[in-house]
Amino acid sequence: MRKAIAVLFLGFIGYYLLSTFLLVPFGVVRVLEGVGLKYLQDGLQQTGAANLVTSIVVNYRGFDTLGEVTVLFLAATGMGALLYSKRPTERARQNASVIVKTGARILFPLIIILGAYVFIHGHLTPGGGFQGGAIIASGFLLMFMSYRTYHVNHVILSRVESSAGSVFVIIGLLGLAYGSSFLANILPLGTANTLFSAGVIPLIYVAVGFKVGAELTALLDTMLQTVK
Amino acid sequence: MYLDPVLMIALPLFAAFLIPPLARISKGLVKYVPVLIIGFNLYETVMLLPHSMVKPVIVIIAAWAPPLGINLTIGPLGNVLALIISLVGFVVAVYNIRFVEEEPNEKYHMLFLLLTAGATGMVLTGDIFNLFVFLEITSISSYALTAFLRDRDGAEAAFKYLLIGSMASTFILLGIALIYATTGTLNMAQIAVRLKDVDPRIAIMALILLITGFGIEAEMFPLNGWAPDAYSQAPTPIGAAFGGIVVKAGVYALARLIYTIFSFQGIFHFILIAGIITLLIAEMSAIRQKQLKRMLAFSSIGQMGLVLIALGLATTRGVEGGLFQMFNHAMIKPLLFLSAGYLVFYSGSKNIEDMDGMGRVKPLLSFFFAFGAFAILGLPPLSGFWSKFIILSETISHGFIAVATLALFGSIIEAVYYLRVVGRLYFKAPHDGAKVQYVPKSALVAMSILALITLVTGLYPDLVMTYLKPAAAELIDKSIYIKAVLSAGL
Repeated sequence: MRKAIAVLFLGFIGYYLLSTFLLVPFGVVRVLEGVGLKYLQDGLQQTGAANLVTSIVVNYRGFDTLGEVTVLFLAATGMGALLYSKRPTERARQNASVIVKTGARILFPLIIILGAYVFIHGHLTPGGGFQGGAIIASGFLLMFMSYRTYHVNHVILSRVESSAGSVFVIIGLLGLAYGSSFLANILPLGTANTLFSAGVIPLIYVAVGFKVGAELTALLDTMLQTVK
Repeated sequence: MYLDPVLMIALPLFAAFLIPPLARISKGLVKYVPVLIIGFNLYETVMLLPHSMVKPVIVIIAAWAPPLGINLTIGPLGNVLALIISLVGFVVAVYNIRFVEEEPNEKYHMLFLLLTAGATGMVLTGDIFNLFVFLEITSISSYALTAFLRDRDGAEAAFKYLLIGSMASTFILLGIALIYATTGTLNMAQIAVRLKDVDPRIAIMALILLITGFGIEAEMFPLNGWAPDAYSQAPTPIGAAFGGIVVKAGVYALARLIYTIFSFQGIFHFILIAGIITLLIAEMSAIRQKQLKRMLAFSSIGQMGLVLIALGLATTRGVEGGLFQMFNHAMIKPLLFLSAGYLVFYSGSKNIEDMDGMGRVKPLLSFFFAFGAFAILGLPPLSGFWSKFIILSETISHGFIAVATLALFGSIIEAVYYLRVVGRLYFKAPHDGAKVQYVPKSALVAMSILALITLVTGLYPDLVMTYLKPAAAELIDKSIYIKAVLSAGL
């Protein structure tokens, strides 16, 4: 009985939510009002980034991205604090077959290169620091799953994480010192659509890429460990 | 002379990123980092006060004027709340110096620093999505800190909090999505201007989603199921931080929402009713608690009920009273929690009945607890009296006699359970098992600061009220806020 009421109640909320969201016209061009239009018209000129999504994420709304980077950092730290154990740990997996091992060894460097490519070209092509970092972490995950003895050095990962995070804040503070405000783009914008363009945007995305890659790798390794 | 206010957020984040390498150099230094950084925030908020009282300080970020970029809008309200948050954060950071010996303690200090930074960001930002991001920072650090002791109860409380908190985040995000889809902007001032052209069905849905989400953080009934467990199972300083920091940021978001952004007339009555129900249910639950910290948790919910009543009145004087109540609660509840933490530690039990005679064993600690209890009850001339008096007299003068009667009834229940504990502390013979040890000086300093503030604001309420008046005016007359933001951009 209680379950039936709960389901009915959820159904009611779901229906009400859906019917409201249907009131918002879907698929109609609505960018002509609001800030969206300004981003579209002037984004390329103002930020020099060919990828408009990146220019919004890293430049116009870069403060949010700093916050999101912190959220990820917090999640990793919180996880580390909760799974902290004084006893030695080991990975709870058996060795994989020869095929997987060989495949992983060949694919691993390629995956890392792809990840690096994605975050270095974040201001030019779809992708960016978060995506590139996630790709890199997936490469490490492949290695963890194939080789039981494959270990990463958490001290190095934590150093990468800390320095990448600090680089983001330092770039912001330099904007405050040499430009008009925190996170202001103080480097020349260059020619759009070339690798060295868009000022600080690629620098921030490279830092984010390193940070996300290191964080997710450490997180995956911690979660795969069990107490001996 | 103040530095760029964005440093109040940038520096804590910077410090948090640098704590892991610092911990490898010297473990002992880490615990002073939050004291230093939050101390800087405290300095900033005090120095900003004279400026923000005259005219909201607009801080542009990434060189894009609002609404294109994100901005901090530091009006009287945001500044006062940032001051409260930094003050409580600073005191708790001092208390933390000798409290946390558990490994991995550098992570504890890092999480605590980010919790304070997140709450500061919530009250300062002028952008609704940025508010969401800072809410995430605040709540994720709260989840991790709740379970920090890694025991069964802590994990359960943290998991409960995590589930309900994620629901809150989802609701808020959906609400923001609706607002952005219909107004095309995320700047709170601009949303406030444009919302009147939006289909009311969509606006009301967005309002419901956002109120539900922030109501969870503000401990509004019936969304406060997480609070008693989280308060009582988290390490003591974190319980104090929930009452003084996290909930304050949640209530701020709620107030900003109903006054500045939406300002629908009907909503105020809803908040008023939600407030009185929250107050009564919490006080009635509190009196039935056997554990000291759980009792304090329910009492904290009750106090927030009183704040909601004040906000629901929607009059200048009422809002002033509500803000004053928030200030008092932010000073007194941490004092109660911090002293209760050591009382629990020395008596070796969480139960109220084992607190017998602690007044003789630990006179100073018990004095702090009793002082806090009297202050929160509203015993004149302590500070709790003035805020309760303003709220109740304002409720009566606007004809809500029934609400005022029920609120007074709640106060009587509150008096019963607080005095019961104080009575046990002083008028019962101590148990044999009580440990006699010295309380660390840092903890005593932390508690003395809070007690002193409570005493001074009780004797001279005008010291605080001078700053709360413009803050209340900012909520009642939303055009001040909107004009300040929009003249900075466009």
